[in-house]
Formats: sequence, structure tokens, C-alpha cells
Amino acid sequence: MDIMLFGPELFYLGMALVFFCLTLRRQVQVRLDYQIALALSAVGVLVTGLCLFQQGDLFFKAYRVDLFSQIFKFALALGLFLVLTISHNLAAIEERYQAEFYFFLTTTTIGMMMLVSSVELLTIYVALELSSYSLYILVPLRRGDGIDVEAGIKYLFIGAVSSGFMLFGLSYIFGATGSTYLVDILPKMNQLVNSPIGIIGLLLALAGFFFKLSVFPFHFWAPDVYQGGANQVVTFIATASKAAAVALLLRLAVLGHASGYNFTIALVILSVVSMTLGNLVAIVQKDFKRMLAYSSIAHAGVFLMGVLTITEAGYIGVIYYALAYLVMNFTVFMVLSEVAADGRDLQISELAGLYRRSPLLSMSLILGIFALAGVPPSIGFTGKLLIFTSAMNAGYFWLVVIGAVNGTICLYYYLKVLYAAYFIDDPGLPVITLSLPMRLLNYALAAIIIGFGFCPDRIVELAKAAAKAVL
Amino acid sequence: MLLFNQLQTYLYLALVLFAIGLYGVLARRSLIAILISVELILNAASINFMAFNRFLAPHPAVGQVITLFIMAVAAAEAAIALSIIVAVYRKMKSINVEHATELRG
Repeated sequence: MDIMLFGPELFYLGMALVFFCLTLRRQVQVRLDYQIALALSAVGVLVTGLCLFQQGDLFFKAYRVDLFSQIFKFALALGLFLVLTISHNLAAIEERYQAEFYFFLTTTTIGMMMLVSSVELLTIYVALELSSYSLYILVPLRRGDGIDVEAGIKYLFIGAVSSGFMLFGLSYIFGATGSTYLVDILPKMNQLVNSPIGIIGLLLALAGFFFKLSVFPFHFWAPDVYQGGANQVVTFIATASKAAAVALLLRLAVLGHASGYNFTIALVILSVVSMTLGNLVAIVQKDFKRMLAYSSIAHAGVFLMGVLTITEAGYIGVIYYALAYLVMNFTVFMVLSEVAADGRDLQISELAGLYRRSPLLSMSLILGIFALAGVPPSIGFTGKLLIFTSAMNAGYFWLVVIGAVNGTICLYYYLKVLYAAYFIDDPGLPVITLSLPMRLLNYALAAIIIGFGFCPDRIVELAKAAAKAVL
Repeated sequence: MLLFNQLQTYLYLALVLFAIGLYGVLARRSLIAILISVELILNAASINFMAFNRFLAPHPAVGQVITLFIMAVAAAEAAIALSIIVAVYRKMKSINVEHATELRG
């Protein structure tokens, strides 16, 4: 067994062990913990990058390492690193729990990394639960007035019910095909075309990932958790966690390839409802994080649009957009957590005068928001273009029309944020000073959002090779 | 043909258990009762796995292994859920979901 195949997971396992030991200390050393976390996660990005082109099977073929899984592992490692860069001021979490914050972030990253590699039903279930349970604990860690535990309990119960749905669906797939390996299930699913047990089983099995991606009807947790959780935790949920869910959705949706019309029409309905509901409710939100939660529900609809084509073009679009979404959503959350440095919930009106208070942050905000809205030449535009084109070519004309209409609706509330930041000024709000690393981070994110929007070819090539591995 | 030696019996049993669990999640107001209902859903899945394993599966151990895993994972889940319920009780002095309405979606 080549140790490099399992390298990223082993590294993060070691990192989790380090933080487990750090949680046991009596006296807290917040700065030291932070520096260790940041250094280790930077090394983690490096390790995952080195393992990018590994290929092979592990653990009796229950665990596949291919370009698809490695790309998403790299995205997850990057997501963890980025979240830790904005954790330099963890005002929302009590000092004595900060080591645990790092510990649970690491374990949830391991869970997601194992999730994107697993190609066997039981492995998928256990990996999904490993990543979810750590997040269930992270949400109520916030210090404060009780909304955190309320958000935590909602998150946990909706998550538990959706994983129950998923397990029930998996049991039907197992019963109908007699196997738990995706490679063995795939040819047998073709015989189950349009039989109720196959389609209901598969749709229920996808529920666990609909929950993670906050697709209707498993979206209820998103606004509450986004508002109730600490900013850094929510950033992780909104970026890395979504990427992992998208990856597994891509792997499992292939099973529905032969199920034809009935399966895709269900996904079309979910996609349309998610997009429309997310966008319409986002308009009335005052709280920035709640607005972003509804925007994430709308984006889940966009992801689903690419997934349900089950074509190579659609998969390329979704992989590209998942990576793009991680960067652009992080950019917006980075601005949010820097403006709300004391860890409070940020109202949109509190962004007033951001162009004066911190020109650099306001530039990042405008780039992140435009990328989320899909304005060219950002990565968000390229990703949406790839997904919409693939859906169009697959024959979902009306779905694309609804998607385009939604793209216009979402401009309204995204521009409302920019309006608050640029056209309203409140002299009472203080100037925000950024440290040098944060300034560099801002420039790097801006370069990525614009650069890969202009020349997406390299990433599209990678996504193409990755899509071949799952289709 | 005996009732308990048929696959259908167990599938219906699991379906009923699943429905009861889902109803409980939606209808019950106490967090503990919701937790119990979630466990019912998981057990419904376990029964399905065992039944398919007994009557259909080519390899007789797979379903049992999955059921064992579900039990272990459900135990972890219950531990986390109960600890958060305790935290809810400390903050709100109640475990009734109707009192947890500060966040409105």
C-alpha cells in the first residue's frame, strides 16, 4: 500500500491528534494554538497538493483515490486553511474552547475527505456522519445568548432526520442490487429503470447530501445555523462543507443515469424550488449571514441543475462551480468576519461606508458579491455559464430560463449589499485596519476571482479529467 | 407460508416504523421525543438491511455489519444530541421546541 494514497487523511488525522492533546491542557494559550493550527493547515494544503495526482484503491476497494476525489480534497484542505486565516480573532468562542474548535474543524475535514473518496454505501454513511457530527458540535460552541444552541439543535435534528432518510434509501438500493459497492450497483441500477424501489431508494439516499447542500426540502436549518453559528464556523459550513456535498452528489447521481425521466424530473423540481425560494426570501433579509444562507439555498439549485444533466459537460460545470463557489463565498465571509471583528452578527446596514473604512475589504466585497451573482468576468460567471450551457444542451430549456430569471432576481439583493457599502455612509462607524497577511489574502482572492474568470482553461481541463473519473 | 418467513412482512414493518418516526419528528414538541423518533427512523433502516440480508443478499454478513455500524453511529448521535439538549435546557429552562423560537426563518 502506497502511503501517499492515504496521505492527506493521515496528515489531518495527525493534526486532529495534536489538537486533541492541546484540548487537554489546563492553561490556555490562544496565540500558540492559533499559530499551530495555521501552520499545520498550511502544511496540509501542501500535502494534499502533492497527492493531487495519486490514483488507486484502498480498503477492499471501498475507498477510491482518483483525480476527482483529490481535487475535492485539495479544495477541502484549502477551505480549512482559509477558514483558519480568518480565525485570528476568535471573539465568538470562549478561550478555553478554542483548541476544541480547531480539533472539531480538523475532524470534520477528515470526514469530508473520506466522504469524497468513498465508493461504498457504508463508507459513505460513516464518513458523512463523521463530518456532520463535528459540525453539530461546532455550531453551539459560540458564546452568547442561547441562539447558538437553538441553531445547533435544529441543525442536529434536521441532519439526523435527513441521514435517517438517506439510510432508509440506501437500504432499498442494497436490497434491490444486493451490493454495497457503487461499481457493482451501477450496472444493476440499469435493470431497475423506472421501478419504484430504485428511484425512491436513490432519491432518499440523496437526502443526506441535499441536507448538506441545503436543497429544498432540507434547507430549513441554513438560515438559523448561519445566523446562530460563530462566523468562522459558518464560513466553513458555507464553503468546504458544500464542496464535499457536491462531490458526493456527483458520485451518486450517476446511479440515476439509466433511471431516465422520473429521476431527473424530481431533481428538476427540487432545483427550481430551491432557486426560486432561496432568491425570493433572500430579498427581505436584514441580517447579512441570513441573506447569505438563502443565497446558498439558491446556489444549491444551480448545482443541482448541473448534476441532473448527468453528462460530462454538466459535471465539468459543477466541479468548476464548486471550486469557484468555495473561493467566492469565502471572500464574502472573510469581509463579513473582518467587519464584525467582535464576532457579532452583521446587519447589512452595518456595512455602511465600507469604501471609506477599508477600501481593500470593499473591493473584496464587490468582487465576491459579483462572483456570487454571476457577473462577468468573475469565476462565478464562468461556472454558471458552464452549468447553464450543459443544461441547455441536455434539453432542459425551461430549467435554464428559470435559472436565468433567478439570476436576475438575485442581482437585486446582492446589489443591495453593495449599495449599503458604497452609497450609504455612517460617520459613526470606525475605520477597519487589516494586518499584512490579511491584506495579502485579499489580493490573492481578488487575483483568483478575476484571473480564473478570464482564463478558466486550466481548471476546466482538470475538471474534465476529474469528471471522466466518476462518469 | 408463514408470515415471519417472508420478506414483505419485514419491509412493511420497517415502513410503518419509518412512518411513525417521521410523524414523531414532525408532531412531537419535546426534544427527547424527537430524538426517540429519529432513532425509530434509523431502526427502520436497520430492519430493512437485516431483512434484505436474510432473504436476498448474496453475501450473508454485509447487512449485519451495516446494522452494527448503524447502532454504533446512532449511539454517538444520541450522545451529541443529548449533550446539546442539556445545553438547551440550561439556556432556556425548557426542552420544548415551542420555546426555541428566537430564530425565525
